[in-house]
Amino acid sequence: MKLKDLIAPFSVWKRATEKPYTAMKPLSERPGADRYRGFHINDQEKCIGCGSCEAICQNGAIDMVEVAGVETTLTDSGLRPRIDYGRCCWCALCVDICTTDSLAMSNEYVWIDEDPEVFRFIAGAEGKPWDNSEKGYRRSGGYSLLDPERVPMILEDPKKGVTSFIEMVKGYSADAARQEARRCVDCGLCIASCPAHMDIPDYIRAIRDDDLEEAVKILYRTNPMPATCGRICTRNCESACAIGVKGDPVAIRWLKRYIIDAVDPSDITAALGKEFSDSGKTVAVIGAGPGGLSCAYYLARMGHHVTVFESSKKAGGMIRYGVPEYRMPYDRLDDEIAHITEQGVTITYGVTIGVDKSLDELAASFDAVFISTGLPDASSLRLTGEDLPGVLSGVEFLERVARGETITLGRTVAVIGGGNVAIDAARTARRFGAETTIYYRRREEDMPADWEEIHDAKLEGVEIITQSIPIQLEKAARGKTGLVWGRARMEDQGPGKRPRPVLIVGETYTAEVDTVISAIGQTADLSYIAESKTASVGIDGNKVLADYHGRTENVKIFAGGDVVNSIGDAIAAIADGYRAARSIDAYVLTGKGKT
Amino acid sequence: MEQINELKARYSISDSRDQRPDLGFITVDPGRLAALLAELQQVRGYTHLSFITAVDYPETGTFQLTYMVHNFESAHSLGVRTVISRDTALMESVHHLWKQAKTYQRELKEMYGIDFPGSPGVDDPFILEGWQGPPPMRRDFDTRAYSEKTYFPRPGRKTSDPRRHMQSRLYPDYTPFEEET
Ligand SMILES: Cc1cc2nc3c(=O)[nH]c(=O)nc-3n(C[C@H](O)[C@H](O)[C@H](O)COP(=O)(O)OP(=O)(O)OC[C@H]3O[C@@H](n4cnc5c(N)ncnc54)[C@H](O)[C@@H]3O)c2cc1C
Ligand code: SF4
Repeated sequence: MKLKDLIAPFSVWKRATEKPYTAMKPLSERPGADRYRGFHINDQEKCIGCGSCEAICQNGAIDMVEVAGVETTLTDSGLRPRIDYGRCCWCALCVDICTTDSLAMSNEYVWIDEDPEVFRFIAGAEGKPWDNSEKGYRRSGGYSLLDPERVPMILEDPKKGVTSFIEMVKGYSADAARQEARRCVDCGLCIASCPAHMDIPDYIRAIRDDDLEEAVKILYRTNPMPATCGRICTRNCESACAIGVKGDPVAIRWLKRYIIDAVDPSDITAALGKEFSDSGKTVAVIGAGPGGLSCAYYLARMGHHVTVFESSKKAGGMIRYGVPEYRMPYDRLDDEIAHITEQGVTITYGVTIGVDKSLDELAASFDAVFISTGLPDASSLRLTGEDLPGVLSGVEFLERVARGETITLGRTVAVIGGGNVAIDAARTARRFGAETTIYYRRREEDMPADWEEIHDAKLEGVEIITQSIPIQLEKAARGKTGLVWGRARMEDQGPGKRPRPVLIVGETYTAEVDTVISAIGQTADLSYIAESKTASVGIDGNKVLADYHGRTENVKIFAGGDVVNSIGDAIAAIADGYRAARSIDAYVLTGKGKT
Repeated sequence: MEQINELKARYSISDSRDQRPDLGFITVDPGRLAALLAELQQVRGYTHLSFITAVDYPETGTFQLTYMVHNFESAHSLGVRTVISRDTALMESVHHLWKQAKTYQRELKEMYGIDFPGSPGVDDPFILEGWQGPPPMRRDFDTRAYSEKTYFPRPGRKTSDPRRHMQSRLYPDYTPFEEET
C-alpha cells in the first residue's frame, strides 16, 4: 500500500471549512402542486369502511383496521384504511374507487423521520398536519370507476296491469342482470343487514361470471325461498349498499330474482342435489309459511325426517294467502315449494293443530317440534261500527281473493293502514274496479310499506290521504258505510323519535264508501298452545317466547317466524327457521340445545 | 405538414394526422424508421429528439413506439410511430442520430423489455436497481402478485375483511352450516 492511499481519507477534511458547492434549500419552500398526490387524507365521518381502497390497491399498501371511537354499525364496518408508504406508489386508484369520496390526497409529500414505522398510518385518524389540507388530489369529474345508476326495471303498463293479476315487475334480462351485477364492489357491507345473512356479493359475483348453477347453490345455502325473496323481500340489504351512498344501491333483490328466473326448475333440483345421511330423527313443523318451510328444508338436508302440518290446502303461508298474485305468481311459488319437498319434506295439508291434532300429541310422537304459525288474524281497529257488514279486514280480503272466491266490493273502497297489507289490499281492490283511497295516520315517508309499492299503487290510481285518523264507522245511506276521520298534525317527539300524529280538533270528515278494509296489523291465534296440557311453551300476548336460536322454555319445542320475531317479514321468518333448524339438529342428536 | 406529404410515398407512411397546428403524428414501418428520422433531423429541421416512448398492446401482440421530434424553426413537433412485434421486442437503435436516445432506449429495455442492440449501456439498470421480475410496464405484469412476492409485509401489518369483522361484531352467534361441512 502506498502512503497516498493511507492519507487519502483524511485529505477530504481539508475541504471541511470551505463553502460547499451545493446549496441547502429549505424544504419548506417546496410546496406540492395544487393537485399533487401526497399523503392520504380520509374523512372519518364519511368513510364507511367498505375496503374498496384496499381491494383496488395494486401494491397491497392498504390494511383495513379498527380505529378507536369508530363503531361497527349496519352501514359502517367500523374499519378504516391504514396506508403503508413503504409500498404506496401514489397512483391514487384508492381515491378514484372510493365509494363515499371520503378518501383523498393532500399535496404534502415532504416528511423526514428516521423511524420507518411512522410511514404507516391510518389516514385522517392520527392528527397529521395535512389532514385538513384543501389542496392535493381529489377524484376528478368527468369519469368514474363506479356506476351510480341502477339498470332500470321494466314494469307492466299500470293501466293494463290494473285489469288483471298478471305480474307487474318483469324482471331483468341476462344482459341487464350482468350489467347491474357489475356495479357491485364486493364489499359485503350488506350481509349484516340481511336477517338470513345471505352471501350477497358471492351470488352477485356468480351472475357476473355467468355461473348460475353456483349462484343457485349460494342462494340456497342461507335461503330456500329465493324466488319469493327475489320479488317481495323488504331488502334491508339495499339500504346498507356502499354504492347507495353516492348513487342508487345495487338492485340486490332483482338480481336474486334473476338467478332463479333464469334457471330451469330441473336444473335447480340438480344444483341442490340430495346428499345426506339418515339420522333416524323425526321433527314436526307447524305451519307451512316461510318460517316452517325454511326450517323443514334445512332439517331435511341435515338428514332428519320432517313432517309439516298445515291447516290450509296449500303451502306458502302469507306469501300465498296474503301477497297478491301480481307480486308473487302462484306457479313460481309452487316451483319453490316443490324444491323444498324434493328434499324429503312431507307436508300434511288440512290439519290444524289444536283442532285435528294437539300440540301434546305432536310433542309425544316426534323428537322435536317447530312452531311457525304466523299471525293469521287481523288486529282490531277498536272503533265503533267495526262489525258493520261493509267492513272487512285486509288479510281476510286478500285470502279470499287468493282462494278464488267471488267478492263484491262495490264502486268505492277505503283502506285503513300504511303497511304492505294496506297497499296490497288497495291495489287488489283496484283490480276489482273500485275507486280506492288509503287512509294513513302519519306522513308518506313514515309508511312501513316498500316505497316502490307505494309508487306503483299511485301509478295504478290508488289515492293516499296521509295524516288522517279514523274515528268511527257508521251506517250511511244506500247501503254504504261512513268512515269518519279527522285530520292529524305531526307532533315532534324530540331527536331520534318518530313524530306522533295528533288529531286536530274540529277537522273531521266523513267518507261514504261501499267497503272499508282495515289493515293495521295482524295477531296470532295461540289457543292450541294455551290448551296444551303437557307441552307447555311460554307466550306473551301475541308472541311465542323464543331466543335467537329458536329455543322456547320447553327443550323439545322451538319456534320462529312472525309468531316470534318483531320484524314480521318473510326473510326474518326464513332466518328464524334456519337458526331453529340448527338448534333442533343439535338437540335431537345430543339431547342438548345449541349453545 | 406539406413536407410530410412529400415523405409519404418514399417512406410508405401509413397514417398521418394533425392533432394540433403544432403537433402531428405519422406511422411508418420499423424498417424505414431510422432512415426517416435521419432525413427529418438532417434535412427537415427536426433537430431535437424530445423523447421515445412505448405502449403495450397484448391484444394485438404489438408494441407501439413513438419518437417525438421537434423543429425549433417552425415550432412544430412530430410524433413518429412504428409498431413492432411483442414477441421479438427488437428495434434498431437511433443513438447515432441523437446521443440521448441511448437513455430512452435503456429505459424502454428495463420497463418494457424492448431491446435496442448496440445502444450503449442498454442492459444497465435504469431506475429499477436489483429488479428481478418481468418488465413492469408490460400490461400483463401483475403488480399485485409481484409486490406480494417481493415486498413481504412489514411486521405489524394485519388487515380485516369488512364482512367478517361485521359478523364478529354484530352477529357472532350466526354460523353458516354448509360452509362448515
Ligand atoms: C298481505 C301481506 C303482504 C305482505 N307482504 C310482504 C312483503 O312484501 N315482504 C315481506 O317480506 N313480507 C311480507 N308480508 C309478511 C310475510 O308474509 C310474513 O312475514 C311471512 O309470511 C311470515 O312467515 P311465517 O312462516 O312466520 O308465517 P305465515 O306465513 O303466516 O305462515 C303460517 C302458516 O301456519 C299455518 N297455521 C297457522 N296456524 C296453524 C295451526 N294451528 N295448525 C296448522 N297450521 C297452522 C298457516 O295456515 C300458515 O300457512 C306480507 C304479509 C301479508 C299478510
Ligand atoms: S395511491 Fe395507489 S399505491 Fe398508494 S395506497 Fe392508493 S392505490 Fe395503493
